[in-house]
Amino acid sequence: MPSPAANPVPQEGPELVDWLNANAKSIVIWCGALSTFAIYSVLFAENRFYRVFEHIFIGLAAGFGVYITWSQVLAPKWWQPMVDKGHWYWAFAAVLGSMFYFMYSGRHAWVSRVIFGLFMGLSAGLMFRDLYEIYFPQMGASMKPIVGGSIGVWESINTVIFYVILLSCMTYFFFSFEHGNRVIRRTAAAGRWFLMIGFGAIFGATVMGRMTLFIGRVNFLVNEWRPSVTSAWQHTAFRVVVIAALLACAFLVYRSVSSRRKSPPAA
Amino acid sequence: MLTRLQNIDRRVLYLLIAAVIAVPLLQRPRRHPGIVFSEVRNAYNTLDRVPKGKIVILSTVWGPGTRAENEPQTRALMTHLFQNGTRFVVLSWDQLGSQLTYDDGAEIAKRMGKRYGTDWGHLGYNPGPMYAIIRGMGKNFAGVFKVDRFGKKLKDIPLTSHVRDHRDIGAVAEITPSGTVSAWIAYFNQPYNVPLIFCPTAVMSAEAYPYLDSGQLSGMLNGVIGAAQYETLIGMGDQPTDAAASAWALSSAHIFIILLIILGNIGYALTRRKPRAAGGTRIG
Repeated sequence: MPSPAANPVPQEGPELVDWLNANAKSIVIWCGALSTFAIYSVLFAENRFYRVFEHIFIGLAAGFGVYITWSQVLAPKWWQPMVDKGHWYWAFAAVLGSMFYFMYSGRHAWVSRVIFGLFMGLSAGLMFRDLYEIYFPQMGASMKPIVGGSIGVWESINTVIFYVILLSCMTYFFFSFEHGNRVIRRTAAAGRWFLMIGFGAIFGATVMGRMTLFIGRVNFLVNEWRPSVTSAWQHTAFRVVVIAALLACAFLVYRSVSSRRKSPPAA
Repeated sequence: MLTRLQNIDRRVLYLLIAAVIAVPLLQRPRRHPGIVFSEVRNAYNTLDRVPKGKIVILSTVWGPGTRAENEPQTRALMTHLFQNGTRFVVLSWDQLGSQLTYDDGAEIAKRMGKRYGTDWGHLGYNPGPMYAIIRGMGKNFAGVFKVDRFGKKLKDIPLTSHVRDHRDIGAVAEITPSGTVSAWIAYFNQPYNVPLIFCPTAVMSAEAYPYLDSGQLSGMLNGVIGAAQYETLIGMGDQPTDAAASAWALSSAHIFIILLIILGNIGYALTRRKPRAAGGTRIG
């Protein structure tokens, strides 16, 4: 894989464009690696390097978002039909959309409340549909036969476990009366335990998910950036820059640790 | 020494975890997970049974933030559909993800000799609202989507020229890091009985099991592990893919975290058993 250090940077305009085109992939990989290190540097301590790259990312994402929204949504689906094809009624979409921005006006904020109210009513109405289509089938699926037909032993055991957990958890959520009865109290306590086990499973899945995101970045560094480093390492200038960067990092870490030792402990 | 076990600097732990993760990624093992969950197998069977005349919709909500989890899922599904000759279109609900999913499709299509517009297509970024687009799509596909991501009319593209409504859609796969699957269940899966496959990030997966149990979801790929298992099913079990390397790295990280938890607890238990020094402080 070619590296930016492999070819000298030309000074002329068109040649510079050619050079950028020729090394585009390497430049992207090096920018990605630098950004990754910058963002993960916050794990050591809050620092300006991290802040700069955080703002760069937000700016880039917002800019790209505006471009994509215009080129793939507004231009083909709204502007061109309205202007080129004479579908004049699309102009009302702009009127309705601009009503949201009246929230920034103290005097005319009521205009924005009209459109917000419309969407809130719409969302409330949609919830009825969600309730019917999403939760009703689950209620039906909860009524499972324990025995009979082609139901095997393990399936029956699974169903019994399912019912025990379902009833225990539902008992826990009976807040309309006091859990004075011993059977109710113990069933509710079991329900609480089952819920805790469920939350534990969700938390375990969360750890797994977060770890995977980290693995994604390490995979990028190991399998995409490392070959570029190996290639660039043949050049003396690159080695000097890397050693200088490592020394600078070591100095910053040393200064951070020593200043922490000098500062009095928090009360 | 014992108290040190409970007070290891977190930055040391970060470095150690990075090192533990890096080893499988450097090795890039060919071996995929031997176990395939039933929900992954069901997802595979669902896509396998899509009739040839129908298209599959890959609805992608992910962006760069969850690329490590959702991209292997997307790539595994795309590879399977190309293998089967099942045609598909990609919908993207994320501005940045729109480009990433197109790049994935283009790269796999090139490798497998498939053509854009005939074997697959990309409908670009859609801002939503999801429920409106999904509901409209079920009734009148061509009325909701008129052009692809390049502005080419769908009626002029062989892939989509015949697609009228839900009757021409064989399955939907929702690849997402957020709770968007409910819109597909409420406005597409339940009204039209079109099979729905859920590909969430691992964080979301635990909440999806009731939907699998009730049959609202036909299958699920649980994070990157689900993607690695799916690759096993589509015959990529001996290839050094990102999903396989990530699965091994994930297992290594989990074992390491469990060891750290055990070490910390041993330190805590032994510290409690130590007799208190005479004249020690007592709080409370």
